[in-house]
Amino acid sequence: MARTSREALVSMMTDIHRGRINRREFLERTIALGVSSGAAMALLEACGGSSGASSSGPITLTLWDYFQTAGKGYLSVIDAFMKANPNIKIQRTSIPFADLKQKIIQGAASKQLPDIVVIDNPDHSAFSSMGILADITSEVSAWGQSDEYFPGPWKSTTWQGKNYGVPNNSNCLALYYNKDMFKAAGVTAPTTWDELHSTARKLTKNGVYGFSMSLVKSEEGTFQFLPFLWQAGADLSTLDSPSGVSALQYLVSFVKEGLLSPECLNWTQQDAITQFIAQKAAMCMNGPWNLPATQQGAKFSWGVVPLPQGQQPASILGGENWAITVTSSHVKEAWSFVQFSQVLTQLRNYIVQDDRLPSRKDLASDPAFQQDPNIAVFVRSLQTARPRAYGPNYPKISNAVQQAFQSAISGQLSASAALNQASQTIAPLLS
Amino acid sequence: MHLSTIVQSEQASEMTTAARQKGKRRQRFSKRIGPYLFLLPATLFMLMFLLYPVITMILYSVEQVNLGTLLTGNIPFIGLANYRTVLSDPVFISSLGTSLLFTGACLVFQFSIGFLLALLFNKRLPLVGLMRGLIMVAWVLPIVVSGTIFKWMFQSDSGIINYLLMSLGIIHAPIHWLINANITIWTVIIANIWIGIPFNMSLLLAGLQGIPATLYEAALLDGANGFNRFLYITLPLMRSTSLIVLMLGFIYTLNVFDLVYVMTGGGPVNATEVMPLYAYNVAFEQFNLGSGSAVAVLMFLLLLVVSVFYLFLTRKEEVA
Repeated sequence: MARTSREALVSMMTDIHRGRINRREFLERTIALGVSSGAAMALLEACGGSSGASSSGPITLTLWDYFQTAGKGYLSVIDAFMKANPNIKIQRTSIPFADLKQKIIQGAASKQLPDIVVIDNPDHSAFSSMGILADITSEVSAWGQSDEYFPGPWKSTTWQGKNYGVPNNSNCLALYYNKDMFKAAGVTAPTTWDELHSTARKLTKNGVYGFSMSLVKSEEGTFQFLPFLWQAGADLSTLDSPSGVSALQYLVSFVKEGLLSPECLNWTQQDAITQFIAQKAAMCMNGPWNLPATQQGAKFSWGVVPLPQGQQPASILGGENWAITVTSSHVKEAWSFVQFSQVLTQLRNYIVQDDRLPSRKDLASDPAFQQDPNIAVFVRSLQTARPRAYGPNYPKISNAVQQAFQSAISGQLSASAALNQASQTIAPLLS
Repeated sequence: MHLSTIVQSEQASEMTTAARQKGKRRQRFSKRIGPYLFLLPATLFMLMFLLYPVITMILYSVEQVNLGTLLTGNIPFIGLANYRTVLSDPVFISSLGTSLLFTGACLVFQFSIGFLLALLFNKRLPLVGLMRGLIMVAWVLPIVVSGTIFKWMFQSDSGIINYLLMSLGIIHAPIHWLINANITIWTVIIANIWIGIPFNMSLLLAGLQGIPATLYEAALLDGANGFNRFLYITLPLMRSTSLIVLMLGFIYTLNVFDLVYVMTGGGPVNATEVMPLYAYNVAFEQFNLGSGSAVAVLMFLLLLVVSVFYLFLTRKEEVA
């Protein structure tokens, strides 16, 4: 990677935001809630969004994203658009990732939403179903490029057969492994559940855990758990089926046998990769946003392989989508910006420069993503990466899933009892 | 007396009384309105930043408020449905219990340790000023920072607490401070006690220093020993200070959000999900601002009950 270390740090920072790792941004609203929940509710009303654009003369499009330290590639897309369209100005506001959802709620309350928003893809269908995003089905079909996208990212932007956005970039999970430890133990990188289990057993010794991952009680934990469920051939609608139970039981056995630290219940994804970098864990399930950190921190040779498969291979899709709000009075101009950002030369420049993964098939085959073998693994994993497109109740559903895996792994309930309880909560929410 | 002079003098006296009354009226006006003018800025501030949010919160709690309804502006009134949703949620009931346990345990230990330290620092010992300053660090440190440090210290595998306990031979297997559902609430309580001690100590110390030294001298002359002096002078005279410290402590502790959020996020499962965390999850993670407000109103009522009880206690004291 021919980038200076500072750039790597900057892009890592943005990725930390995206990966829900940095919780410091919570401080502001934390204080508001800590002092009084009422004050938080008031903030909701009191703080407006950025002002809407006026229709006379040059047009200003307002844009909200959560790139506190925006990558050069991203900014150059915006600049290039303004150069190509001198009558349109883009006014960008960056909001910390942890606050974006809240800020959108505030914007809806004060009717001051921006024209364009960047949305974390699991939240997209919830926002679509609440009616805050513009239906751009006709624009998208006139554009005719939907087939160029991977099905997972694309599905996250649709709701009830209509289009509410366009995928911009993606991420997914894969398995980091410590090549030195593998060599010493005489094992190769696992490709199946059985191999992952036996490899972890061989590598667990002298205070080193074979495997690390986050199973924290937040969306991060759900993000890490769902691939196992899918690999087992189950889904949220069949959570307490035998295959669903086998997925959770598989993870419980890792903790019971001491291959995965029970601390995983309290580890964020950042904590999990820290264990790997500190050589406290031989393998780690994590995303591409931690590649720069591992590159810099790891004092050993390491690599990335796709997640080992159960009944079938599966990874999980994260990433960012563009969406236009329903309150925008410049849907046409906003759409032209979204279209502009997806022109291959623009998009390639952005994704490569800012260390993202493409959501488009035609871009994924670009040699830029094959040069670095680790990035290539993540790009390949996108093929089997599924979105969390479970409709407007997803936040509640995710909460029930977190309770299930936490109570089974902490030993309070058996895997089947925990999943049974969760599926009763989830069933009416999956509509 | 001549009639005209009488009339004249009466007129004159009437005039003076009129003038006097006018002056009086002006005086009365400034006496009546003036104080209110002085109150105006504070009142406006209270209305904008205290009353308005509270009223908004109460209104939201009886309406169906989510992103969709906020956007259309058509927010339906749904009566007590939010309260029913919240009260029938077992997670809310458990969060109420967790909050009361958390608040109760923190208050007992913060107050008693704070009191002992206040008694210690009330003595003229070398380096007392320095020690007092150092203890305030716990209060000054941002809670996100102290919460993160506690999280590290309480790690099962690599935390210093388990390391110390095991090297001293007190325990033989690591304690899962942050992941054993039965222990985690106590881990968070320990952290919060540490944070709350300086607050308790400094207020109680101020109270101790307000007790006239002459009382102790008199008791000493009468032959009262140290324990009796504490029991019959210090404790009764510290009553009102203690009540206010406990009362403020209750409000602060019931509202603790950040520490729990940083240390456990409410987990494992719901073991440490206190009420503010529950309200936050409902309002901002599940987008249900109505139910989130209902939780906030319930917390508000709970605090109101405690405040009224406090006022009742102090009123009795004033009469006595």
